Amino acid sequence: MPLVIDTREITKVFGANGTAVHALRGVDLQVEQGEFIALIGPSGSGKSTLMAILGCLDRPTSGTYALDGEPVQGLTGAELARIRNTKIGFVFQAYNLLPKASVLRNVELPMLYAGVGRRERRQRAMEMLERVGLTEKAQKLPGELSGGQKQRVSIARSLANRPAMLLADEPTGALDSNTGAEILELFKDLNRQGNTVILVTHDLHIAAMASRRVEIRDGLIAAGGPE
Amino acid sequence: MNSGAFQERIREAWVEIRENLGRSILQALGVILGVASVLGGFSISDSMRGQSERLYVKLGGLDKLNVQPNAIVKDGQPTALQAANLGLRHADASGGAELDLRNVAGVSVRKNARARTRSPYADQDRQVIGIGADYIPIEGYAVALGRAFSDTELERGEAVAILGAEAAQTFYPSGDAVGQVLTVGDLPVTVVGTFQERVFRFREDQQNIFHWRNRIIALPAAFIQKRMQGDAYRRMDRVTFRLPEIGAIKAFSRDLTSLLKASHRLQNDFRLDDVAARMKKQQSQGDAYDIIFLLSGILALVGGGIVNVNIQMASLKERVREVGVKMAIGASGREVFKGFMTEALLLTLLGAALGLSAGVLFSWIITVNLGVPLTMRATSFLWAFLLAAVFGFAFALYPAWKASRLSPMEALRYE
Repeated sequence: MPLVIDTREITKVFGANGTAVHALRGVDLQVEQGEFIALIGPSGSGKSTLMAILGCLDRPTSGTYALDGEPVQGLTGAELARIRNTKIGFVFQAYNLLPKASVLRNVELPMLYAGVGRRERRQRAMEMLERVGLTEKAQKLPGELSGGQKQRVSIARSLANRPAMLLADEPTGALDSNTGAEILELFKDLNRQGNTVILVTHDLHIAAMASRRVEIRDGLIAAGGPE
Repeated sequence: MNSGAFQERIREAWVEIRENLGRSILQALGVILGVASVLGGFSISDSMRGQSERLYVKLGGLDKLNVQPNAIVKDGQPTALQAANLGLRHADASGGAELDLRNVAGVSVRKNARARTRSPYADQDRQVIGIGADYIPIEGYAVALGRAFSDTELERGEAVAILGAEAAQTFYPSGDAVGQVLTVGDLPVTVVGTFQERVFRFREDQQNIFHWRNRIIALPAAFIQKRMQGDAYRRMDRVTFRLPEIGAIKAFSRDLTSLLKASHRLQNDFRLDDVAARMKKQQSQGDAYDIIFLLSGILALVGGGIVNVNIQMASLKERVREVGVKMAIGASGREVFKGFMTEALLLTLLGAALGLSAGVLFSWIITVNLGVPLTMRATSFLWAFLLAAVFGFAFALYPAWKASRLSPMEALRYE
C-alpha cells in the first residue's frame, strides 16, 4: 500500500538556545493508506506537536515529511493551506464549527476554498451530511445541535474534499460515553470504506479500537513505530 | 470558473455585520459623518453659488465689459493736459472703426442726473438715468406696459420716459402711467412705458436687492446731455459692451484701451471693468469654503478610520479562533485577508449610503432655513463617496493584514 504519511527524523524545538524545549527529537512515522492509527501519549509527550506537524498547521524544525507522496517541508503558507484543504480532514475535540453559518455552509466551506462550483458544492455537502445521518439538519445553525450532532457535522466537513487522511484530535473528549461510542463507530465505518484515520487520544480504551497504536513519549515514538 | 466565492464573502460579511450590529454601527459612524459633511458642505456652497448664478442671469448676464470715466486728478490743480480731457464723450463713439465688432452683441450708454421730478401725485428729488439703445436688455429690464424708446427718440433726445415699477407706483398710483406727462427738472416728459417689477432675494427673508432698480426713471441719454445739461460734449457715465464670446473679451479690452488712450491724449481717464472676471473673483471665495468642507469631511473620515482600526483590532481578538478554524480547513492568508476586507468595505459602502442620505437631509434642512433653493451636483456625491471608499479601504488594510498573518496553530489554540 502507498504511504499516506512518511516522516524522517522530524524534530521540533520551541524557544531560543538557552530555554529551548525539544518537543520532538527525531520522529520516524510511516502510515499506509487505509490504516486506522491511534496516536497516544501523556500530556507533554509531544503528541500535540506531532499532530500539528502532521496536519501541516506547523512546520518541523528539521527532518522531512511527505504527505500522500508530496514533500511538504519548505512549502509556503499558501501551499500549506492548499494541502490542509485538499489532503487533510480535521476533526477537533471542540468541533470548531463556525457558529454563524448553517450546517450546510459549514460543510461547504472547505470546498469553497478549493474552488468547487456552487452546485457541486451543495450536492457534495448534502452527500456528506447523508453519510453522517444529518440531512434534515442542513439548514440549522450549529448552536441548535447536540454535541454528538456537532461532531458529526465536523466529520462531514472533514470529508468534503475527499482528503488523504482524517486527523481527529480527541474527537470524543467532549461527549458522553454513548455518543462518543457512536462517533467512534462512525470513524470505524469510514475506515472500512477506505479512509485513512489518525486518531489522537489519551484514552487507551479508544486506542484499542485502532488497527495500530503509536505511542509518543518524550518526543520520540516509544512503541508502534517502524518495526 | 465562478465558484461564487465572492458572493459567499459578501454574504458572510453581511452576516458578520448583522450579528454585531452595535459594533458595526459604531464603525460606520465615522464614514456616515464624513460622507454627510463632505456632501452637505459641497451642496450648501453649491446652493449659494446657484443663487449667485441666478442673480447674474437677472442682472442681464455676465458677458459685459464696462467703460467708466476715471478721475486721474487725485489732488491739487489739474494740468492743462488733464483739464483738456473730459472723460467719456459722445465723440468717443464716433471712432472705433479699428475695433473688431464681430463679437459685440450690444452696446449701451448711461448718463446719470438728479432732478426734481413731479407728477400730480408726487414731487420728489430723484435720480434719472439717461440710457442708450441696448440698455434695457443688457441690464435685464423688460417693458411691462407701453413701449421702449425708438431709435429716433434716442438719437434726438426727445422728451420721453420709461418708469420702473416703484417709480410708476409713486408718481401714478392709479396705474395709468403710460401717456401721462411727468415734469423732470423744468421739462415736461411723456411717459411711454413702464418696466416689469424686478425682484431678487438671496434668502427668502432678506430684502429685495433689486429694490433700487424699480426706482428707475429712464430717459434718452441725449435728452439729459443736451436738453437738461446743455453739454456739447455729451459726456456719459458708463458705456457697456456685451461680448457673448467670453474668450474675445481680453483682445477686445486691449484694442479698446489703445483706441481710447489715443483719442484721450494718452491719459488714463477711463477704466475698464470686466464683469465676468469680477464675479469670478467673488465666486472663488466659495471655493475656499469647499476646501474647508472637504477638509472637515476628510478629518471625520480619518478620525472614523482610526476608530475603525481600533474596533477591528479588538474584534479580531474575539475572532482569532474562527480565523484559525478557517485556516485549518484550508483558507489561505489571502482568503482571510479578503474576508476581512470585504467586511470592512461592505460596511464602508453601507455607511456611505447612509452618509449620502444624511448629507441630503442635512443640506436640505440648512438651505430651507437659509431660504435658498437646494442645488446638488452629481460630482459632490461622487466626491463624498470616493473619499469614503479610499479611506475605508486604507484603514481596513492593517487589521485585515494582521488577521491574514495569524499562525493557524496558534489561532486554533487561542482561548
